[in-house]
Amino acid sequence: MSDYLLEVTGLSGAFRSPTGELTPVLHDVSFDLRAGVTTAIVGETGSGKSLTALSILGIQPATFVRSAGRIIFDGQDLLALDARALRAVRGRRIAMVFQDARSALNPVFTVGRQLADVHRLYHGGSRAAAMDAAIDALRRVAIPEPARRARQYPHEFSGGMAQRAMIALAALICRPELLILDEPTTGLDVTTQAEIMELLAELARAERLTTCLITHDLGVVAESCDQVVVMNAGRVVETATTEAIFTSPREAYTQRLLAASQLVEGAA
Amino acid sequence: MTRAPLSWSMRIGLAILGFYVAVALLSLVWTPHDPLSPGVGDGFLPPSVEFPLGTDRLGSDVLSRLMAGTQYNLGIAVLAVAIALTVGSILGVIAGYYGGATDIAISRGVEVFQAFPGLLFAMLIVKAVGPGVVNVILVLSFVGIPDYVRLARAEVQSRRNWPYAEAARMVGNRSWQVAFRHILPNSTGPLLAFTSINAAFVALVTASLGFLGLGLSPNTPEWGNMIARGQDGVMTGEWWISFFPGLAILGMTGAFYLLGDALSDLTDPRRRR
Repeated sequence: MSDYLLEVTGLSGAFRSPTGELTPVLHDVSFDLRAGVTTAIVGETGSGKSLTALSILGIQPATFVRSAGRIIFDGQDLLALDARALRAVRGRRIAMVFQDARSALNPVFTVGRQLADVHRLYHGGSRAAAMDAAIDALRRVAIPEPARRARQYPHEFSGGMAQRAMIALAALICRPELLILDEPTTGLDVTTQAEIMELLAELARAERLTTCLITHDLGVVAESCDQVVVMNAGRVVETATTEAIFTSPREAYTQRLLAASQLVEGAA
Repeated sequence: MTRAPLSWSMRIGLAILGFYVAVALLSLVWTPHDPLSPGVGDGFLPPSVEFPLGTDRLGSDVLSRLMAGTQYNLGIAVLAVAIALTVGSILGVIAGYYGGATDIAISRGVEVFQAFPGLLFAMLIVKAVGPGVVNVILVLSFVGIPDYVRLARAEVQSRRNWPYAEAARMVGNRSWQVAFRHILPNSTGPLLAFTSINAAFVALVTASLGFLGLGLSPNTPEWGNMIARGQDGVMTGEWWISFFPGLAILGMTGAFYLLGDALSDLTDPRRRR
């Protein structure tokens, strides 16, 4: 078996409008995620990076029509799996952290219950045991007073705390092999962003996760990623190590992206 | 977790309904006179100590009949609303979540029944299937189902692509679990609020069917039946025969309306303190 955990090959697709017209959004997207490595997918809004991530899990919007491509995860083509086999992969083997954690948590259930429900979905067991697991997960993501916080509703959480809870759910309750992070720090203030990224790096190391970070923030990429996939307008522009991207970007678009982020002096 | 104090409309509504429930339960074991037998007193007796609400044309005790009637009017309203809420919500969630041909089949199916006004539709069906408590309950729930379908469908449709629905799919829930366990609980507020309006409507239509002689057999102490039996007396001065059942209907309908808003508040975590 290869040392790639996930291989996306030639993924293409379009959005279908209510009148049936197709608007192409992904063009022959190909990239690999190496096992145990953090790979970043960077690109501006609308470049198709989130859509690609949702497609990996098979939870893309219903209006998205795939025209070609394969997504090989650990030797099996996810796009060829039936619903039952796909459910066995979702969460248990590939989990995802969403951009806006406060709306990714269900407003009518307590945070602890939401984590506990997922725990029971995978492992069964009593409510009390699942709640203990949930509180334990909240503790591990450094949420203060986890037992009390577990009884609170998402609207009582700050954005940073909600994202920690979401990370506890995706990384510690799901215990996946691949963790996809879709703009996990967008919308959080700068110090919280740094804390969240630190927490993610720590968990990835401790749980030996393969992570895929989707972001438009090159500063975050420089600090925490090993590999970079640059996307623009539904195409993969460049794939390289983080070092290569920042020191000798080959493509004009990558150079422009770097110049815009002002991380590399005189890159333009 | 403590809740915000109950609003006054909620308290009054609950108090009135509590009273009706108590009367219904009491009437199962005790009424001053036999509500079903005629001639426990003379006909058309005005309110007195022995017959606090008077007697009707056949000499039955109005108070006893009123008390026994609570079982019918309250029971029919509660059961019809419960059935309509359950069936309508299930159909609405399915239509809203799965969309496409399923949605079209369910939505068009219930719209056909909405083409007729509720009371008229209920009259037509009761006339067709015949009188009886079970028939009346089924017909009244049937009339309510389309509204619940439309409400639940719209609610679920607006939430099915929210991040928490995506998150629920992400962790490997089945589609029915996402629809019923993750999305539907967010819509309990509007659905419960509507049950009170629906219950008030059902209470009125039950009495209307009784008054028109379509609902239950004529001697059943249902309030609409009682009003019908006393309607001649209204003109000739024996007002009590129709007045008190009318008051009972008014009280129950009003209580349901008062509960309306307050019910939805109770289900929203943001309103809790």
